[in-house]
Amino acid sequence: MSSTDPLRRVPTRSNLPFALVGNLLLAVSSVGASHQSIQLQQELVNLHSYYAFPASSIRDRRRERFGRLACRWREDTQWLSSATEIAVHPAYQAIIGMGPEALPLILEDLRHNSGHWYWALKAISNEDPVPPRDRGAIKRMKAAWLRWGEQKGIVVT
Amino acid sequence: MTFADWLNSARIGFPLLNDKNSRPTSSADDEYNCIAWAAEDTEHWWWPDPQEQEYWPKMVPRAETIDAFVQAYRLLGYSHATDVSVEPGKQKIAIFANERGTPTHASRQLPGGWWTSKLGGQIDIEHELSAVEGPTYGKVTIVLARISNSE
Repeated sequence: MSSTDPLRRVPTRSNLPFALVGNLLLAVSSVGASHQSIQLQQELVNLHSYYAFPASSIRDRRRERFGRLACRWREDTQWLSSATEIAVHPAYQAIIGMGPEALPLILEDLRHNSGHWYWALKAISNEDPVPPRDRGAIKRMKAAWLRWGEQKGIVVT
Repeated sequence: MTFADWLNSARIGFPLLNDKNSRPTSSADDEYNCIAWAAEDTEHWWWPDPQEQEYWPKMVPRAETIDAFVQAYRLLGYSHATDVSVEPGKQKIAIFANERGTPTHASRQLPGGWWTSKLGGQIDIEHELSAVEGPTYGKVTIVLARISNSE
């Protein structure tokens, strides 16, 4: 392929931004570890991932990470009654940290495996479709959240 | 999974539990927990969580303290008991707490002297009271009793 090939001149997901972001990452790393620089580094890492990998690969890695975290959370909290202890588990908090991208994965897991996902769903979505009279009524809570997910187009029936 | 396999998987959290001092009585179910099971409720997960996701009696403070748990069971007719012995005509509940004094678990006494527990979102078991003490639930901190409804 010659240097005049149009494909070489058009920025794609995998060439120009990839190098640019890599250089920016190096530059930011040398600035220091202030809160802003750490935040900027994180955003650059995300940007780097966006250009470096196809979208399907990013989705797969996200799903894989969610599955790993959910598995650890279930294993470690299976004996607990304390909803607080269940929700402050580091893996659960890491899933909350995944933000809105975790919502379809959580709702899918809720549909198939149940589990105390309610704090995470509320924390991420800032919504709560469960009426106060149904607090702790797990079957009805699960149904309310799955209905919410369907209405928002996050899960498909 | 056999009960022996299950005990093996639970060994770290419940080092005292074995097939001589416990037996399974249900399959796993995450629709209710030990606090509900002690109150004979299989429809709700009871916990005074500050995020207000779980069931907790409206009249009782949403606080993870022994006092709040005693108040919750007091609504069902329970009051302080002196010990864990079997007393004809009485039903007892034992509340467990960790080293910080935070409630972790509740068991309900059966007429024969063993106790019944729901283990988180896992199975129900019947057991000797001390068999579930350990790193997961801590120790029995308080015992409550009421006139038995079944006699």
